[in-house]
Amino acid sequence: MPQVKIIAKNFMDMVAALPTLKLDKLYENTFICEAVLRSLPPLAKKYALQLLYIEEPVTAKSMEEWVLPDGFSKHRVAIDRLIQLRVFIENPDGFSRKKETSYKLNPRFQVNLQNYTAHGGVLPRESMSSSITVRLPTAEELDSYALEQWESFLLQLISSGQIEKTTTSFSPSMMRIFQQGLVSQRDREGPRLTESGFQFLLMDTNAQLWYIIREYIINSEDRGVDSADLISFLLELSFHATGQAYNTSTLDEVQRSAVKDLADLGLIKLQQGRKESWFIPTKLATNLSVSLSDSSSRKEGYVVVETNFRLYAYSTSKLHCEILRLFARIEYQLPNLIVGAITKESLYTAFENGISSEQIISFLQQNAHPRVCDRAAPSVPENVTEQIRLWESDLNRVEVTPANFYDEFPSKDVFEGACDYARDNGGLLWEDSKRMRLVVKAEIHTLMRDYLHRQK
Amino acid sequence: MASGQVVMRAMYKNNGVKDPGVQGVLIMTEDKLDFSPDDPMPSARLNVPFRSIKGHKFSKEGSQKQALLMLTQSDKSYTFEFDKYAERDICRDFVGKVLGKIQAKQSSKQEAKVDSEKPATTVHDEQLRPAEMELRMKLLAENSELQKLHKQFVIGGILTEAEFWATRKKLLAVDVSKISKQPLGFKSAMLADVRPLTDGRTNKVTFSLTPEIIQQIFTEKPAVHQAFLKFVPSKMTEKDFWTKYCRAEFLHRTKNAVAAAAEAAEDEELAVFLKQDHILASEARQKIRRVDPTLDMEADEGDDYIHLPDHGIFRDGSKEFTDSEYEQYKRTLAQDLNRHAAVVLEGRTLGMESGDTRTVAEALAKSKKAELATQMSDEKANHNRSERASRMAEIEDLQTPHNPPFAPLLIKDPREYFDSQQANALKALRDTAVGTRTVNCNVNTAQAYGSLRKSISEMKVTGLSVPVIEAEVARKVLIGLSQQLSSTKYNLGKNPQESILDRLPKKTKEELLHFWISIQELLKHFWSSYPITTTYLNTKVSRLKDAMADIYPKLQGIKESAQSDFRHQVSLLVQPMVQALDAAFTHYDADVQKRSMRS
Amino acid sequence: MASAPSKQYSDDVSVVMVLLDTNPFFWSGANNTTKVSFSSFLNHVISFLNSVLLLNQLNQVVVIATGYNSCDYILDSSTSESINLSLGNGKMPALCSKMLQKLEEFLIRDEQLSRENLPTGITSSLLSGSLSLALCYIQKVLRSGRLHPNPRILCLQGSPDGPEQYVAVMNAIFSAQRSMVPIDSCIVGAQHSAFLQQASYITGGVYLKPPQLDGLFQYLSTVFATDLHSRSFLQLPKPVGVDFRASCFCHKNTIDMGYICSVCLSIFCQQRKKCSTSDTKRNSIEIYNHHLLPVAASG
Repeated sequence: MPQVKIIAKNFMDMVAALPTLKLDKLYENTFICEAVLRSLPPLAKKYALQLLYIEEPVTAKSMEEWVLPDGFSKHRVAIDRLIQLRVFIENPDGFSRKKETSYKLNPRFQVNLQNYTAHGGVLPRESMSSSITVRLPTAEELDSYALEQWESFLLQLISSGQIEKTTTSFSPSMMRIFQQGLVSQRDREGPRLTESGFQFLLMDTNAQLWYIIREYIINSEDRGVDSADLISFLLELSFHATGQAYNTSTLDEVQRSAVKDLADLGLIKLQQGRKESWFIPTKLATNLSVSLSDSSSRKEGYVVVETNFRLYAYSTSKLHCEILRLFARIEYQLPNLIVGAITKESLYTAFENGISSEQIISFLQQNAHPRVCDRAAPSVPENVTEQIRLWESDLNRVEVTPANFYDEFPSKDVFEGACDYARDNGGLLWEDSKRMRLVVKAEIHTLMRDYLHRQK
Repeated sequence: MASGQVVMRAMYKNNGVKDPGVQGVLIMTEDKLDFSPDDPMPSARLNVPFRSIKGHKFSKEGSQKQALLMLTQSDKSYTFEFDKYAERDICRDFVGKVLGKIQAKQSSKQEAKVDSEKPATTVHDEQLRPAEMELRMKLLAENSELQKLHKQFVIGGILTEAEFWATRKKLLAVDVSKISKQPLGFKSAMLADVRPLTDGRTNKVTFSLTPEIIQQIFTEKPAVHQAFLKFVPSKMTEKDFWTKYCRAEFLHRTKNAVAAAAEAAEDEELAVFLKQDHILASEARQKIRRVDPTLDMEADEGDDYIHLPDHGIFRDGSKEFTDSEYEQYKRTLAQDLNRHAAVVLEGRTLGMESGDTRTVAEALAKSKKAELATQMSDEKANHNRSERASRMAEIEDLQTPHNPPFAPLLIKDPREYFDSQQANALKALRDTAVGTRTVNCNVNTAQAYGSLRKSISEMKVTGLSVPVIEAEVARKVLIGLSQQLSSTKYNLGKNPQESILDRLPKKTKEELLHFWISIQELLKHFWSSYPITTTYLNTKVSRLKDAMADIYPKLQGIKESAQSDFRHQVSLLVQPMVQALDAAFTHYDADVQKRSMRS
Repeated sequence: MASAPSKQYSDDVSVVMVLLDTNPFFWSGANNTTKVSFSSFLNHVISFLNSVLLLNQLNQVVVIATGYNSCDYILDSSTSESINLSLGNGKMPALCSKMLQKLEEFLIRDEQLSRENLPTGITSSLLSGSLSLALCYIQKVLRSGRLHPNPRILCLQGSPDGPEQYVAVMNAIFSAQRSMVPIDSCIVGAQHSAFLQQASYITGGVYLKPPQLDGLFQYLSTVFATDLHSRSFLQLPKPVGVDFRASCFCHKNTIDMGYICSVCLSIFCQQRKKCSTSDTKRNSIEIYNHHLLPVAASG
């Protein structure tokens, strides 16, 4: 799932962009170290692990010994990432005098992970002891709760106003922040989804979640909350056990306010006891750090596409229906089944909204019904995918390239020289040698002008 | 030898196969052959010692060919024709034996002389069918590798043609089966081509029949065929027969079922042509019986489009109203089509050229009979039909699996496999402590388990020791591993997946591969010649040995000519080849010594 | 655009089957031959298990004890019972104490199975059994769910090879090769293991006999923790070349040419009337010639 990877990577970029002091402070938390390690590319993880007990810096050269010729690009990526995230410290303690690059593991990171390997993974906080008799939701209840919360949030996001507002407690201003870029509020027309808004809807849940959370964190500074604190809490949250209840009193002020927001997103469920209140992380929360590496677990699909362009979606979700409506004509809606057809018209509306054929196809493929996936044949019939692409390319028959028009050349030689020059720069679009006219891409106009001046 | 002499009547052909020949008696003894003609003609009289005969050839047994035996001298050949193949074969076998004996004598005499190869080759050269020869040529042309080997060894005189191919029987066998001549089938055009030609002015209609068409009519319409056999020439002439047939065809064509019925009533012969072909009908019934009983032929009847308006063929009989009494005089196009298709698919069963109508008809009848005989056995099979039906209906999953019988492999002691492997494996690891290391355990079972459990419970109390590993030790290990890697990297190349061969220059690589293939070929022949039981094998082995000895210095050459950075690798590759050759030479020397001791 | 999603996770998610040699005769008699005690060995191994789990949340480790008389699963990180015991008992993390508990129970069972008399000769552990257990588990993993992790096997072996297990072990190795499961071997005993050398060679795993056993964790984390995805970019210690020549069953000599029984493939340096391994009559004994093997073997 490339989108999750990109967005999750963006999230880790956000972490990497934190100032050194803050980052080092984050590494005091074992869970952050763990989450950061897991977000690394596989090769980088291995490098971090092999230096776990080594205190002396290790030269870059000796690490390269291990790399096969095919793996050098991966090696570079891994090392770069390690340094960005300050997991590796380059040339520590004036070691650089030797003119040889060497690396050392971040000492805080090192100690934390050493502890981890010795003691194994532990939970961030004590869960509710079994002596307290409070009925906890079952796994299924929790899952459906999370899904419900998330979907109602999304529905509210894309069509603020229509849906019953009571479900979420996000302030309208907060909501507006999320909607930034996704929904455009034009005049009195009511909200309209933008291009990226449509694309957002076609992403899978993890990617959407990361998008929202990133927005949430970026805006935290405005609310007077330190983004590092928030990041650390979110990462920590993903190490809690799903379905266990944790006492809210163990949280600090920042976290307690964050918990309320997260409950609105369906990441956690709040439960009020007689004296104390508890929070129960859902699957959405515990999957957060898993999806940081790109091997995220896929959820069950529900869409069946037939070769005759008909589409059956086994879903009860209103949101699914809305998403399918983006590019297909919905014909019937039965209690657990949505029947529709992919038509030229429905696709044209999608293309107009800025959704690309590849996005639609990958959405259909990713959400294909398990029965369809198990077959040897492609999950979406090839004639359908081809036709979707063809219809899109139909729209793009005319390509607009900004260009400049040159004429009235003094001589044939100058004209031909100009043609060659334009061609060499990859900007020649059209030439008419008889009348000595020339069309060149606008981007090299300045170059052309300089060239022609020189000719005079 | 059972008889020291063979006496046979034969014809001597002085001037090759085309010569009519001279009748006479051929007497062959162990050392010479004697031919005395019936007609005392001095020029045809022969008295040739077998010593001067270099080889013999003979014609293959076949219908058209004569039973020939040809004896070749260095400059001349003698050809004899026999009445029967059996007689020829007796002579041929005798000649073969005698020649073999003489050859053996000669080669034992000239043990020291190497030039005994030439006669030896001819003895074992069989007469090849041209088809087989062609096949060999084709194989060589298709496989450049094979061609190279052939050129090197057969043309180079190291192996004989027969020896070379003897190891590749499979290659030949596979292709022989493929070359079966494709028989010419019937034209797929319908018989409707026998169009009546009308000149327009008169009422005369002309049909033209060719032998080709007649044969097709016979096969497609068994009733006509039968009638022909019955009536011609006893009852009517051939011409009358066909005239009647054409009249019937004409009636069909006009689709006048009523007229056809009327005419049929008058003329019983004509009726034969007009009625439904009862032979065909019974055949069709039989065929239906042979259809898989589980197949429900009626199931998809509703699937066709014929019952829909605007579908189907208009000439189809169902669209035309006829009285049922004329039903039998009505033939539908569908019937014709099906019959024609069946005949075309069956193919032409007669291999002969179509000639005289009568012989065609008879030959066809013969082949029909044979077919019927096979069908009779089919009838019997029909008894099992119901049984088969029930078997087909059985559900596979519920049956006991049909496992082919097998003899269980009985291994007395698997240890043996291990021991034979271990010796080598550990040698490769340069483990010095091989063999001597049966751990002498002086602890008893209880103690051993006890100490293990104790250490576990200790661990439970004390917990894990932190840190697991000293930083200094960890560093040492990592450095050690890195060094180990960098040292192996330069010995064995950067990429372990790449084989050594791929890194050599292309020319060297090809050369090496070719050497290896040649050596394998030679070794295959060399080892398969042992134990040496005949002098022929003896000469073969010495030939092979010399050829291998020729390759030996070339291997050294390639090793030395390799560039310095590849020399090590090339010598690694050459080493097993040299070893293989050495093993062969040692074996050869030991064998020669052993045999000389014995004699 | 990939149309059919692969059944495998795209990168480094792995399930590692660790075969732990718990042969009591090796560990108790070993004190004079090896430098590592059983408890410190366990210490290193547990750290290794934790680090594998650390690398990816979806990673999975399964530990199989290879005993003297039997073998059994002693840890499976995927079953919930090993995780939800929240913090363990203070000193010992849950995963680890659970495993030690199981190991102890296993040893008691294993002891009960042993015969009264003292073992003589080679005291090997039941490697064939634990390899088979591991492969069964892997088959289960491969057949379950839409996505499955990349499986591999790591043998931590100290006891000498058991010749009577040869056929069973080789069968397990070939089965691993067929399902493309690499077998890594880490030898903690004094001698090399011919079994595991072949196993790693055939399945494309790593064979290593660490010279410095107090640094075992470093070997494990540097070499054996490498996931299959990263292995295609990295150079790991190369398995030592295997000598393909056979040695005869009768005298254990390395031979170039000999006679081979076509039924059981036993090799003899002399022609004999009957195959001593499978009682097959002589007519099915054919000539074996190492030099007629294809060139690939020597390349």
